[in-house]
Amino acid sequence: MRARLLAIIRAIAFIALALILCGIIFEASGFSAPDMFSAILDGAFLSDGALIHDLRWACPLFVSATGVVVAFRCGYFNVGTQGQFYLGGVGATVAVALLPGLPAVIVTLVAILAGIGFGALWAFWPGWLRIRSGTDEVITTLMGNFIAGLLLVWVTSGPLKDPSGSGQVTSSPPVPLAIRLSTDTGVSVWILALTVLVGVVTWVLVNRTAFGVLGGLAGRNPVMVTWQGARLSRLGLGAFLFSGATAGLAGAMEVLGPDGRLVSGFSPAHGFTAVLIALVANLSVSGSVIVALFFGGLASASLYLPVIAGLPSAAIDMVNAAIALFITSRAMPGWLRLPRRNRS
Amino acid sequence: MMDLIVAVLRTGTPMIYVAMAGVLAQRAGVWNLGLEGLMITGACASAVIAEQTGSVALGLLGAVGFCVLLSALLWLVIEKLKANPIIAGLGLTGLGLGGTDFGIQAVYGSEGAVTAPAGIPTLGPAFGPFGVLDALVLAMPVMVFGVWFACRRTRFGLRLTASGEHPFAARSVGADPARMRLIALLLGGVLAGLGGAELSLGGLDIFSVGMTAGRGFMAFSAVIFGAGHPVGATFAALFFALVEFLGIKAQLVFGEHAPRDFVLMLPYIATVLGIWISARLRGGALLSAIEMRDG
Repeated sequence: MRARLLAIIRAIAFIALALILCGIIFEASGFSAPDMFSAILDGAFLSDGALIHDLRWACPLFVSATGVVVAFRCGYFNVGTQGQFYLGGVGATVAVALLPGLPAVIVTLVAILAGIGFGALWAFWPGWLRIRSGTDEVITTLMGNFIAGLLLVWVTSGPLKDPSGSGQVTSSPPVPLAIRLSTDTGVSVWILALTVLVGVVTWVLVNRTAFGVLGGLAGRNPVMVTWQGARLSRLGLGAFLFSGATAGLAGAMEVLGPDGRLVSGFSPAHGFTAVLIALVANLSVSGSVIVALFFGGLASASLYLPVIAGLPSAAIDMVNAAIALFITSRAMPGWLRLPRRNRS
Repeated sequence: MMDLIVAVLRTGTPMIYVAMAGVLAQRAGVWNLGLEGLMITGACASAVIAEQTGSVALGLLGAVGFCVLLSALLWLVIEKLKANPIIAGLGLTGLGLGGTDFGIQAVYGSEGAVTAPAGIPTLGPAFGPFGVLDALVLAMPVMVFGVWFACRRTRFGLRLTASGEHPFAARSVGADPARMRLIALLLGGVLAGLGGAELSLGGLDIFSVGMTAGRGFMAFSAVIFGAGHPVGATFAALFFALVEFLGIKAQLVFGEHAPRDFVLMLPYIATVLGIWISARLRGGALLSAIEMRDG
């Protein structure tokens, strides 16, 4: 209990440090830091309907974050969530486009599975390269993000282009409402049920299965796990596939849920934020729930800022990045230091 | 052929400067994934300052100043707060990408691009096709030689490499690894600032939000591909630039048959191939390497 409390205090302390850094940058660029933070707070949690928006962004973020938790616990820095998320969206849209006329329930189900499959596929090749030849997964997954982004541009302006669409941002034709998981609000029984399901499955996987326990050990001491006879390569590949699958599911949820279509360059900060949620939650599934609600709020604030408050939305990107900069810090004053055994 | 050499040099030079920053950090034992953030900060600061003051020299100085400041911040977080270098580096990159976007909007409203009145001085039309090469491109071989000399032929370089490869050995001869890392990161800040400035002021003299598009990460990959050797990293960066050039050429030649988005993917794919080859040749980390990277 003490360890958990300390972990929370620690996370809050580093978020505060990150906010101070951002405040200094806001002031230096001629904005008033208190105004900026109060606008962010309004957009995230206090204005009308903010909590619904919060939930709309938090659900897919949490789903992706669970995958990051699994991969990072195994010791693999899969930072390709963004690309896997995009591929998931593409997969779901392809399924919807290929299956006209079938019953809506089946199409939805196939689209979700396609999203999961495409996402897992996009995590498979960096995982394979990592496990077979030790190719650094941080670079391959980052490059995968750029490639997936371009693939998304090509898909939405080529094969899956909405013929009636116009304007700068290309997209696929809208998904019929019967197939969708939610309306544009992004909060529905289905979305919430899927999110809860992923949370429960991941929690059980991490805390109650051999895969989760061995994976957690492998992340801290791979040599020991090998000596104990576990197949490290299988664990690692499993972790990659799982994180890709969850990110893909999140992408499918966006397309079938609030977005209602595949939009070129949608949710550009999703992957980074999902990684951040997992890290702030200290790689705990249950912790990720609360942290996801916090960052879901920030994500909705990044839409609120430019539209309502007339402030640059990049402020949110900066807040997120500053939190990432500090959150993994291990140096703490003595009384805040975590006992090492209970760290994760 | 001439235009190939000129184009590859112009595209490759910003990456080479940033890659040299990566080489110094790598040798000191820091996986500097903040390079992308440093590069865009350099590109933004140089263009904005050149536009505001009209002086390219002040722009370069400002770019270097900002990048050194950010590098110092990264050092503080990694060494003093004991953060994970990978995540802290990615955080710094995010701070650079978000901060430049924010800064541009703060100064210019929501235009998203700045045009500088002038760029870095070039050779001029007297030199034919080579006339478009600017001072930083010409200084690049000297800079690479300098980094090579410092790393491979001086006491400083030995201590730097020791700090990365075997901090205990470095400590035993009186070199403080933490201090060596600070020096490496600060010098890297200077080089990354120049690389970023070359990106924005070395051709079109425009800065636009997100213009690095992963070139900082590519520069980091060039370090891995080049095995942390300055000359190796230089050729790796030139290779990535060559792939980019060939893609653009292919599009000009084949037109519709070479879709634009796939052509744009080529440098990223080349980067993946590059570090895969380097892992095959030199053996990568087959076990989880997080503990080692923390070192």
